[in-house]
Amino acid sequence: MGIIKDIVSPFAVWKHFFKEPVTIKDPLNRIAAPRYRGFHQNDISQCIGCGTCEAICENEAIDLVAVAQTKNGDSGLRPRVDYGRCCWCALCVDVCTTGSLKLSNAYTWVDTDGDNFRFTPGIDLKPWDSLKDGYTKAKGLELYPLERMPMQHLHAHQRDNSFIEIMKGYSKEEAMAEADRCVSCGICVAACPAHMGIPEYIKAIREDNLEKGLQIMYQTNPLVEICGRICTHKCETVCSVGHRGEPLSIRWLKRYIADQVPATDYYRVLNQDKVEKNSRKVAIVGAGPAGLSAAYYLSKLGYQITIFEKLAQAGGMMRYGIPEYRLPYDQLDKDINYILSLGVEINYNTTIGTNVTMDELHANFDIVYVATGLHEGRSTRIPGTEHANVYQAIELLRKITENKPIEVAEKIVVIGGGNVAMDITRSLARLQKQKYGKVQTIATSLETEDIMPADREEVIEAREEGAIINPGWGPREIKILNNKIQGLKVVQCISVFDENKRFNPKFDESVENFFEADMIVESIGQGMNLSFLTEKYAEQLEKDSRGRILVDTLTYQSSLPWLFFGGDIIEGPDVIHSVANGHKAAKGIDNYLNSIQK
Amino acid sequence: MFQKIIEKINLKYPIDVVSKKSDKLMFLTVHKNTAVNTVQYLKDDLGFKHLVLLTAVDFLEQGKFQLTYLLNNPDIKIDIGVRVLIERESATMESAHSLWPTIATYQRELREMFGIDFPDSPGVNDEFILEGWNNTPPYRRDFDTKAFAANFYHQRNSRENNDPSAHMKKNLYPNE
Amino acid sequence: MNKFEKFSFDGDRTAYPNKKADGSLDIDLSSHKYIKVWQGPNHPGITGNMAVELTVCGDEVVEAKTHVGYLHRGFEKLMERRRYIQNCPLVCRVSVPEPDYNEFNYSTCVENLAGISVPDKALWLRTLALEMARLQGYLMWIGGAAGTLGFGTVGQWSNYLRDLVLDRFEELTGGRIYHIYILIGGVRNDIPVGFKQRMLDNLREIEGFMKDIRKVLFDNYVFKKRTIGLGIIEPEWIYPYGIVGPNARAAGSLNDVRKDYPYGKYSELDFEVKTSKQSDIYARAYLRYEELLTDIDLIKQILDKMPDGGEFMANIPNVFNLEIPAGETYVRSECTRGEYGYYMVSDGSGFPRRVNVRGPSYTHAVALLERMLINANIADVAQIMVSLHTYPPEIER
Repeated sequence: MGIIKDIVSPFAVWKHFFKEPVTIKDPLNRIAAPRYRGFHQNDISQCIGCGTCEAICENEAIDLVAVAQTKNGDSGLRPRVDYGRCCWCALCVDVCTTGSLKLSNAYTWVDTDGDNFRFTPGIDLKPWDSLKDGYTKAKGLELYPLERMPMQHLHAHQRDNSFIEIMKGYSKEEAMAEADRCVSCGICVAACPAHMGIPEYIKAIREDNLEKGLQIMYQTNPLVEICGRICTHKCETVCSVGHRGEPLSIRWLKRYIADQVPATDYYRVLNQDKVEKNSRKVAIVGAGPAGLSAAYYLSKLGYQITIFEKLAQAGGMMRYGIPEYRLPYDQLDKDINYILSLGVEINYNTTIGTNVTMDELHANFDIVYVATGLHEGRSTRIPGTEHANVYQAIELLRKITENKPIEVAEKIVVIGGGNVAMDITRSLARLQKQKYGKVQTIATSLETEDIMPADREEVIEAREEGAIINPGWGPREIKILNNKIQGLKVVQCISVFDENKRFNPKFDESVENFFEADMIVESIGQGMNLSFLTEKYAEQLEKDSRGRILVDTLTYQSSLPWLFFGGDIIEGPDVIHSVANGHKAAKGIDNYLNSIQK
Repeated sequence: MFQKIIEKINLKYPIDVVSKKSDKLMFLTVHKNTAVNTVQYLKDDLGFKHLVLLTAVDFLEQGKFQLTYLLNNPDIKIDIGVRVLIERESATMESAHSLWPTIATYQRELREMFGIDFPDSPGVNDEFILEGWNNTPPYRRDFDTKAFAANFYHQRNSRENNDPSAHMKKNLYPNE
Repeated sequence: MNKFEKFSFDGDRTAYPNKKADGSLDIDLSSHKYIKVWQGPNHPGITGNMAVELTVCGDEVVEAKTHVGYLHRGFEKLMERRRYIQNCPLVCRVSVPEPDYNEFNYSTCVENLAGISVPDKALWLRTLALEMARLQGYLMWIGGAAGTLGFGTVGQWSNYLRDLVLDRFEELTGGRIYHIYILIGGVRNDIPVGFKQRMLDNLREIEGFMKDIRKVLFDNYVFKKRTIGLGIIEPEWIYPYGIVGPNARAAGSLNDVRKDYPYGKYSELDFEVKTSKQSDIYARAYLRYEELLTDIDLIKQILDKMPDGGEFMANIPNVFNLEIPAGETYVRSECTRGEYGYYMVSDGSGFPRRVNVRGPSYTHAVALLERMLINANIADVAQIMVSLHTYPPEIER
């Protein structure tokens, strides 16, 4: 029986003879699944050429090739894929920092020339560029952390009546975790005015080799404790990780390295004993970031440096402008003292023109480097600004540093929306809290909140400390009654810049507001005072149409070969720019002296 | 469980290092001259009769090969990896083919890929995977696969890779 | 007594070929009694290329030697110079028909050594992918095994059925063969909308065809005649030859990694380990057929029990900088051929020091096959070879 059944049963499946065939009739036009990993698409407008796709590719199928640079923070490179090597694993899509790279679900491509299968997606146009479906990184899949490691800091109630530093710095674990987020693309290096070796020193943190990290940082920046705290971190705005997540905390990582290496080790770590001294002499006017930076790099080259500083201590705006809660004086001194310890001579309380003349400098030194900064506050010049209780922010900040008494009224209005305005607002708020136990400071600016020049965190923290930030108003008049300030009358500001992006504010006079105050502080920018140059030299200097001194953009040499300029008077107010041009000026001075003494 | 096994082995053969990975997996480092005996003891007396694998790890920096005999006890469902460090220079190890006939295949592969000799192991000198190979045994760490491929095969000279930061320096601030 | 009886292989042939005093085989090729025959390296029943060098005397095989190396790409060595994440697209290539086991074992090794814990949903999705891999692996095998005996129709069906599973793989992972779905820390995506229904429809179709395959193959006189009582694996060979999976279970073993060392979500699934006593080609084939049905049932259970939504990827450290403390580990899972394992040694750097793949075919296709082919009829070599379910790439990696 069994045998017969076994012979007959296979014939039961003859029924399949009547079934529809399952073969796909037109396989070339079969549409792949929506997630299919087909051919590459790249949204060129989003792509920044960071090269993470190239780095992750195990097959070396991706090359970065040069194209026109389109935007800030764009390397000008784009991935070119070689389909002779590609395995369509799509890890390049998963690690793409901007999310520009995708795999479409197209999967047939016929060509007679093998070299055509190497193409730059998005630039070499392909039929599948318009396809919507294909492999994209799923939401919830991240191959590197997008969230920033938060830093321990004082909360508003712990800090609002003192000048203790707010940010506590990273611990080792925190710094390691933050450094781990770096994808080492190097986009940030170009954005940094000093072009610091950012990926390298972050790598040194991961390797826990902080002395190496310090060496890397000092190659381009001798003010690392300072920049680690108050740098404007242009690097972080272009950080590739920041496109989809939070950018690397590059500034805090820099601070971490500087904080961890004791000042006493700097001399050894930075190989300062290997410097050969020479007899060339350079005078530096102004001990701000540019002057200190130039002094450091010149002394590394063996020069004899003499700094002339008008005030009683070195640091310039870093000491007399930036409040202590952002940059404590001991940390400031750590950087400055190291530079001064390299044999740099410094004369405090020395004003050029009064204590020593430009002629003397020219006679006694090979080169004079002028970096005197922007220390003159500008006024709005609205009615009432001549009142004694109307102050310049920069003067008040200087006095706070010098520990001199200043007036702290019960109600204060600050005019200005930049970082200096926030500095004075928050400083005065602290002093009000100390004196009255409550804060009544209002800061107002022309710019609305979205375009305020101050750092976002400054605004947030000022509000946490009780100050009121009320932007978008144009000051009109300081109301004075019986020689006593009543407050500030303002009207609504509609726009700050015209269509040519020039400063040309427009107001709606019908919308008025009034901020009560006993004291007004102006903080709308600073200017320079170069009167010490005297007419003799000022007239010899070439200037542009707007009266600014012309300097070589690489060396900062003026039309007088022995006179170099730098710092805020050239670049505008920014520490890292000053550090960078101090460095460049040092190289420029060295090259110039080498060339004439050959 | 592991503690008892270690005590039992210790009565007969010395153990240098014990590293417990989980409740189910443990690695022991033993001496070269007692390694096969230890493996045999585990197999015959302690029930570790399933040979999961035998392989080598090249610790080039220390000048040693590590041989790992991974044994499994299917009754109590526990794995023990018996590690033995042998000299990299003219590496030789006692054959264990009398315990499991199949181990000869592993030993033949190790002979070919790492250059570790197992005298008397059946067919140990026969070619296994490679044919006519007279270079360094390829799985040794001092054999550079990429350099070999670059020399041995035709290269398509078509790569032109750029580093983002170097490229930006070249384009944006070449003289700084 | 029919005229073919003198060629029959009934009876004890174990004394052949004769042995010399030192135990080696007494085969004198110059006697003209023997002939060398190469089977392979291309063979429809074997996934990949592998040759068996047979020495035959008449129809009888007296010596067999397995030759591998046609697919050697040195994966284990390549892994040593790639970052941990970069190996995920590489490992799947070690065994083409079931890449997911490589991905799973490799990722689990890294997770064990780096101390990464995988979210629950990812475990479900991994289990789903692994069972789907088993299902299509068995479908492919059934086609190959039937094809070896000339049943081309079954091969056509099973390839169609496998394509259905591959369609679902394509939908789930974006790839048909190399899925690269399981990454360190989890999987790459959740199941798409409507996946469950389409999968269940496919499973129903596969089940329908399975009834026909049973009629055509397992209830087929010819198939039975060519397989029953042939290619027997003695139960006492299991440990000496390192036999695992269906090859061992058909010989009475109950070892199944899914039960013995539950990984993924197998501890929450209800299934029985199938076993058999006959241990011949038919028993192994039928066992695989039963396991295939078990896999269908398991996929249904997984789709039923798997929670909707949820994290499918752990928060892993930056893969560009991932460095793993020195250590070593072994991870195993049950693929269609049995215990599939990865042994990984890390040395604290961003690259593995050594990865060793333990593929079940390593022992089955070399030592065991060489043993089994002795005294076999040359016409049966193909069935015996296929009945061990060999994937050559996992032998030579």
